[in-house]
Amino acid sequence: MRKIVEVKDLVKGFGRREYETAVLKGISLDIYEKDFIAVMGPSGAGKSTLLNMLSTLDKPTRGQIILDGKDVTRADNKLLSILRRDKIGFIFQEYNLLDNMTLQDNIALPLSLNGEKSRVILEKVERMAELFGLKPHLKKYPWQLSGGQKQRGASARALITQPEIIFADEPTGALDSKSSKELLTSLRLANEEEGATILMVTHDAYTASYAKQVYMLVDGQIQSRLNSKGDRKFFYDEILQLLASMGGDRE
Amino acid sequence: MSLFGLACSNFKRSVKEYASLIIALAFSVFIFFNFQNVVFSDSMDVLENFNKDYIDMIVQAASFIFGVFLFFFIWYATDVFLSQRKREIGIYTFMGLDNVRIGKMYAIEAFLIGVFSLAAGLVFGILFSKLFQMLLLRISDISVDIRFSFSLPPVLITSVIFGIIYGIMIIKGYVSIVRSSVLSMLSDAKRQEMKNENIFLTIFKVVLGLAVLGTGYVFAINTGGLQSLVYGLLAVILVVAGTYLLYGGAIPFFIRKLTENKKFLYEKERNLWVNNLAYRIRRNYRTYGIVTVLMICSVTVLATSIALKQRYEKMIHFQEHYFCQVTAMHRLDKEQIEKGISEKNQVLYGNEISLTLLNPDVFHRERGSYGIVPCSVLKEAAKEAELDFPYEDIKEDEAVYLSHVYLMSFMEFDPNTTAEIGEESYHVLAQDDTAYLGRLQESMNIYVVSDKTYEKLKTLGLECFIYGFQIAEPENAEASRAYLDTLVEKEGDSFTVGYNMFLPDRGEMAWIPIMYSLCVFMFVTLILAAGSIIFIKLNNDAYEDIERYKILKKLGVSEDVLKRAMKHEIRFTYYCPFVLMVITSYFSVRALGNVMKTELTTVNVYSAVAIILLFFFIYLVSVRAFQKKVLK
Repeated sequence: MRKIVEVKDLVKGFGRREYETAVLKGISLDIYEKDFIAVMGPSGAGKSTLLNMLSTLDKPTRGQIILDGKDVTRADNKLLSILRRDKIGFIFQEYNLLDNMTLQDNIALPLSLNGEKSRVILEKVERMAELFGLKPHLKKYPWQLSGGQKQRGASARALITQPEIIFADEPTGALDSKSSKELLTSLRLANEEEGATILMVTHDAYTASYAKQVYMLVDGQIQSRLNSKGDRKFFYDEILQLLASMGGDRE
Repeated sequence: MSLFGLACSNFKRSVKEYASLIIALAFSVFIFFNFQNVVFSDSMDVLENFNKDYIDMIVQAASFIFGVFLFFFIWYATDVFLSQRKREIGIYTFMGLDNVRIGKMYAIEAFLIGVFSLAAGLVFGILFSKLFQMLLLRISDISVDIRFSFSLPPVLITSVIFGIIYGIMIIKGYVSIVRSSVLSMLSDAKRQEMKNENIFLTIFKVVLGLAVLGTGYVFAINTGGLQSLVYGLLAVILVVAGTYLLYGGAIPFFIRKLTENKKFLYEKERNLWVNNLAYRIRRNYRTYGIVTVLMICSVTVLATSIALKQRYEKMIHFQEHYFCQVTAMHRLDKEQIEKGISEKNQVLYGNEISLTLLNPDVFHRERGSYGIVPCSVLKEAAKEAELDFPYEDIKEDEAVYLSHVYLMSFMEFDPNTTAEIGEESYHVLAQDDTAYLGRLQESMNIYVVSDKTYEKLKTLGLECFIYGFQIAEPENAEASRAYLDTLVEKEGDSFTVGYNMFLPDRGEMAWIPIMYSLCVFMFVTLILAAGSIIFIKLNNDAYEDIERYKILKKLGVSEDVLKRAMKHEIRFTYYCPFVLMVITSYFSVRALGNVMKTELTTVNVYSAVAIILLFFFIYLVSVRAFQKKVLK
């Protein structure tokens, strides 16, 4: 299996050197092709900080992140921009669709800005819409869509460039349970059928249960790791047990 | 912190943000003050003999037009400011401020901006007042020494008028804030939803816009005749309405169609900027309309100015073609007179024309002075006076009417005109305003007829002889007066030989050059106003776009791509009104040319080039400002 991201001894601290508070305290992990990882943890554990580092939006204090053979901690802004454009897909909690264009144009946006041919773009948009069940909504504007539809749209946009990896930051954070389920089913489909590699940050056990692996982040360190054995419901219970053993909330 | 303190600190913190508003307001104060200053300054007293009252009236009229224009300009600028401020001030509701207090805070801030702009405008106005007057008089070709003068009335008038207009706007803003709900205040930032319009309504709007604009153009082209005023007015109303309808209908429709053509849309950065345009244009159509109308006005005003100048020069040329004309009831020796004048002045040319004076009843009229001139004589005289004479042979039943140069005329020459002289009817070939007989053509109706006809009609009237001369230095004309006086002959009470001397006195026409210099200033003002309105609009757009560009950056869209998309969008906002202006100004300038009887095509081209250069500069500044705001 091809290694896509390699994180070595990642440290992130805030504040001046003498008074530095470490948020991430030496994290190492490898992400392989077709992985579907959920990073869980209580508030303040450093989940979002880790995601920001991995997705090149922020730089670590120490350590390395190797994406596609390149150390992104040393890359200049231009290279980062290219990496973000070609290798990484993003799904944000607040959808971040552009409100001045239709869903179709939103999904097509990354490809159209990359200079892909219109014919190819239209085909790919079609396929993504199919995958995420958005075909009837393509002509609509974001304000005409429900939260779930918006988030699936954002996911389609993230996937359309066929990035090496997709980072999702609390993708179900703003969704009701039905919409969450639809989104997660679509993401799992993308992972299984399209071979998308996904790293998702969530505090929700139900959401995490759709992943293949769950990393538990506590106090800036990876405390434990769970692997799914294939059955989602069973995996959900396993996660809940782990949370209970850690004294976390049951949700 | 008191409300006043809060407003002050707000003002201080965001002076840069308000820069475009302050500049716009200060600029309007600057222009208005300078016009008032012209009316009150001593230096213009020198123009007393150039009928200053008349000039004052024109400048006052111009001030009035500027006042009206300022009203709308300030209205627009403060409206944009208000919606921007509403979002920010709205947040104070969470701190427990009620609408009245928020409104007060807005009023204080707006007041500070007003005072600041007024002061800046006045200071610059006073500093540049001498320059302004010098330019005004320089363009008007009036040589007067201008001292730096300062008087209070223009400052007061400007302050009061600005205060009233701006005060109304502050109150309007205050009322609007007090009345608005907290939610609407905060959601002023929220995007309006793009509602899908009924297709039939859209088609109706598109067709109506094009039809109205087209009809306006047709009216503009058909000006020149007696209906010019009506046609002109209709053209103005229809073109203004058509322009608005176009921005409200056809143009958004067209852009919307572009966004639906995905093959086109997904190329280059179009997905970003064409969508942005489609989203905005419906809301911004009034702005586009204002800008386009301002631009059309500016070009037309410039063309008016040039046309006035051309006509003025032609009039001067017409009136001063001869420095004197000797009229005699019997033939004199032309060479002799020329010799007499030559004693004091160098004679450039001179000629002799025989003219038969006819009673108006010969022309079947009750009053007026009428005369006829034989073709061959006029041809010879024209040659001597260095004038073209394009009529080779006038047939026996034909005539040419000699008119004079008008500033503007709503009369069109009808090629089927006939002149009834005696028992016969003559076909009038042309109406000619060449100064063959100089200023005599201003006071008499003179027809050129064939030599045969002249011989026949001569018997009905009284033949006299006109001797016209031009000298090298018309300023020195008085030197020859003594000689000319010796030519005068009298028989009883009436003169048999007399003369008219035309001294270069342009006093009574001094208002024309003043008028055209005012037009030039109006051009500059209007075009700068158009530019600054787009600039303010873009600033406001940038404000809205910050969030969008943040998302795009998060998605990894490179700054280069974003910058290109911005450039395309901003370019459209400048070029779209420009293109519409070019098309419309072709018609408006042609209408003007029809009335002023002048060819203005080159003027049209030059002014378009001037505007595009200026706009290119404002465009560059806008792009920079936009990028700075959005990508910071």
